[in-house]
Amino acid sequence: MPSLSAKNQDFFNEPACERNRSKDFKVRKKGCSQPPMPGAAAGGCAFDGAKVALQPITNVAHLIHAPLACEGNSWDNRGTASSSHMLWRTSFTTDVTEFDVVMGHSERKLFKAIREINEAYAPAAVFVYATCVTALIGDDIDAVCRRAAEKFGLPVVPVNAPGFAGSKNLGNKLAGEALLDHVIGTVEPDDARSSDINILGEFNLSGEFWQVRPLLDKLGVRVRACIPGDSRYLDIATAHRARAAMMVCSTALINLARKMQERWDIPFFEGSFYGITDTSEALRQIAGLLVKQGAGPDLISRTEALIVEEEARAWRRLEVYRPRLQGKRVLLNTGGVKSWSVAHALMEIGLEIAGTSIKKSTDNDKERLKQMLTNDSMSGATTPRELYSALSDHKADIMLSGGRTQFIALKAKMPWLDINQERQHSYAGYHGVVELARQIDLSIHNPIWAQVREPAPWEMAPARGEEMSEEEALL
Amino acid sequence: MPQSAEKVLDHAPLFREPEYRKMLAEKKRNFERPYPDRTVTDQREFTKTWHYREINLAREALVVNPAKACQPLGAVFAAAGFERTMSFVHGSQGCVAYYRSHLSRHFKEPSSAVSSSMTEDAAVFGGLKNMVDGLANTYKLYEPKMIAVSTTCMAEVIGDDLHGFIENAKDEGAVPHDFDVPFAHTPAFVGSHVDGYDSMVKGVLENFWKGEQRTVNPGSINIIPGFDGFCVGNNRELKRLLNLMGVSYTFIQDASDQFDTPSDGEFRMYDGGTKIEDVRAALNAEATVSLQQYNTRRTLEYCKAAGQSTVSFHYPLGVKATDEFLVKVSEISGREIPEAIRLERGRLVDAMADSQSWLHGKKYAIYGDPDFVYAVARFIMETGGEPTHCLATNGTPAWEAEMKKLLASSPLGNDAQVWASKDLWAMRSLLFTEPVDLLIGNSYGKYLERDTGTPLIRLMFPIFDRHHHHRFPLMGYQGGLRVLTTILDKIFDRLDRETMQVGVTDYSYDLTR
Repeated sequence: MPSLSAKNQDFFNEPACERNRSKDFKVRKKGCSQPPMPGAAAGGCAFDGAKVALQPITNVAHLIHAPLACEGNSWDNRGTASSSHMLWRTSFTTDVTEFDVVMGHSERKLFKAIREINEAYAPAAVFVYATCVTALIGDDIDAVCRRAAEKFGLPVVPVNAPGFAGSKNLGNKLAGEALLDHVIGTVEPDDARSSDINILGEFNLSGEFWQVRPLLDKLGVRVRACIPGDSRYLDIATAHRARAAMMVCSTALINLARKMQERWDIPFFEGSFYGITDTSEALRQIAGLLVKQGAGPDLISRTEALIVEEEARAWRRLEVYRPRLQGKRVLLNTGGVKSWSVAHALMEIGLEIAGTSIKKSTDNDKERLKQMLTNDSMSGATTPRELYSALSDHKADIMLSGGRTQFIALKAKMPWLDINQERQHSYAGYHGVVELARQIDLSIHNPIWAQVREPAPWEMAPARGEEMSEEEALL
Repeated sequence: MPQSAEKVLDHAPLFREPEYRKMLAEKKRNFERPYPDRTVTDQREFTKTWHYREINLAREALVVNPAKACQPLGAVFAAAGFERTMSFVHGSQGCVAYYRSHLSRHFKEPSSAVSSSMTEDAAVFGGLKNMVDGLANTYKLYEPKMIAVSTTCMAEVIGDDLHGFIENAKDEGAVPHDFDVPFAHTPAFVGSHVDGYDSMVKGVLENFWKGEQRTVNPGSINIIPGFDGFCVGNNRELKRLLNLMGVSYTFIQDASDQFDTPSDGEFRMYDGGTKIEDVRAALNAEATVSLQQYNTRRTLEYCKAAGQSTVSFHYPLGVKATDEFLVKVSEISGREIPEAIRLERGRLVDAMADSQSWLHGKKYAIYGDPDFVYAVARFIMETGGEPTHCLATNGTPAWEAEMKKLLASSPLGNDAQVWASKDLWAMRSLLFTEPVDLLIGNSYGKYLERDTGTPLIRLMFPIFDRHHHHRFPLMGYQGGLRVLTTILDKIFDRLDRETMQVGVTDYSYDLTR
């Protein structure tokens, strides 16, 4: 794994990005995040990214300082699991109106809204999100948050990631900055241990991370903070006392990992819990790092023992699916870490990768892919039409993607499985790969595809049957 | 370990395993510094009181759990109802991702819309360049017949002039001069999605009607459906009725095919929608009929100014509302209402009579868009039900007044309260302090169902957590039948659940209801 010699780089100067190495000052100045192309149907904005990255902090009130739009269209649309609080799912917004904009009332409204939240909900903290409108009219949310924090004796955290600042991914990173500036290191834990780790860039979708946690529990490794999945304000405030960190989605929060290493000397590695080999590798790395940081050396042998046991079980279980999935081709249309980690997991169980998107992937992500895939199967941003033609040409047997492209697959008569935030199953860890195999198997072999692919009986001209190729007839 | 490769459990049952309960409880104890259970219980109980209700309803600066979306979402939905039309939202690009997800999740269909992807530079120097490049790219990439431009807050705050920008873009060759690029200013800090719908439809009409000469085509009718999450079922049902009557009509804005494409191996980025030449010809209609008045106020004014007679309804749902709609259409078109429709009406009335004992006196809370709330409250009263809380986050004082008038028209509306511009957190207090039997709204109501135990009936956009409801009509007599059945199913399912405990409550677990 290439190490990230990223120290002393400023936030926009991400070494993993070609643009930042450009000689042209103007290109360099644009920073790492890809500017979106006008007229294309691309993903979300910086606000979206910031909210996605922070909202899983469950005992915090997330207050969107915006006209109703930003929140009215988007509240409660993520499936990350929380072990107790539901406050994060409650939608709070200042609903800034034309009157507020014209009269300049919105700062006062924000202050009042924080007070109303504090009185009714007594949250662990309030996170205040700037958006396009409130940033454009120049609301000083930092000042309002500072004042409110003093007045109510409550952490009030400004998140400065208005939509126009850039892409969703940039927003993820700005969210990390907000945690660094205002949260991490503000509380000293009285229970720090030498086997405490942080997990960064893990969202606990469908409780995915909880299914890995028992492995760590078994090893006596304690998760000080999983950022952001199912975290509490206090986890994050004390995260600076962990001894090591694992970076799961580096695209989202790499700046956080790097700066925590700089400030508090917390070494980190990039890993994935998708697939058997990657899961084992992640556990090894965690154990290795912790031992280097002073944990008992027996951790390594205990980890190896656990790996042997779990791997054997998972491989045995996968045997059931192997003959059913052998040689099936998967089109992977997702982003960031998943474009290589899921690809790797799939190849491990005998599936072929017909293609994988590299949108939102860092150079490291791409490098990993290049090492894995021999064919020319990486693609950048895909328009619905391109995606559709790849699918309808039978270049794959199934597509794994997110909700917005789901229905394109279906129109192309192609089985589909959600690999993004709306997924209903957990694919992490040793059992997760079995579940992934099971779900792919179920999806590919569902009888509806035969139905979908067959024309209505009256459309079947007699000659048509003869013309059909063997492969077509099987479909 | 409860989860293992040997037997993989789904997340719903998995986390109920004892090991997980323990793990999660420990997490709470160690990291939350939680309040004592007693305090939490006390607070929960407090939020159910009248005292808290007063505090809650007095909120000024904070909106909690809104039941409205923003103007551009309405504009994107509106644009989807025209032939080969791509929505182009001028602003930063996150917004468009929301609209696409929102519509996709509700209709279970792909939803196309693009953005001019404005960034900080555009915020400072204006979004002209984004408009020019964006239109050129959209034209090239997606081969639309029309590009419908709306704005987000951002473009509105910096004051971009759409008309001028589009002209400029045409001059620069982004799209041909005669290419149709209707537009609407849709700032999200004003109004809600229903206003955005209105502006966009008006924008399209203006694009085709401005400066054109009108030759009246007697008896012909334009129908504007309004923002409707049930457009797939509703528009088709209305067309069926109009065809039965033999009326000459044009749907202006019809997204029923766009959001219901078949799986036949063809990807339709665009499907159905009102044909461009039909929009042009619609100027000549004798009358324009809107199915949702609060959705179409400005469009109707424009139609009136163009010389048409106009009439509007509040989402024709139920017996009386459908009657009024059909009678009006018959009057304008000069076509009789045929026997087949009379029989349909009789069947709905028959069904309501069959079930009246189960519905009479039931109390309801209703929330959603203004016309929808009006329609449902009216139908509920037809069934003998009592609308108790009628709430619209995007309701106006005018709507409030009209609702009160409707409710005053029947003793069943005596106890009803109307809540304009309140949110779902306010509704929570209302349900605790003045409980009802049934709640009617959208998927977001499931938290109210959980907290207050009020059974939720999903009849309003968006419905994310149930499938295919939008494929069935709510309007017309057939739609009335479906709404009726849905309400009854909810009542019977609940009754069965409450009476199925063997030896305890099963004395009422009856086969015949």
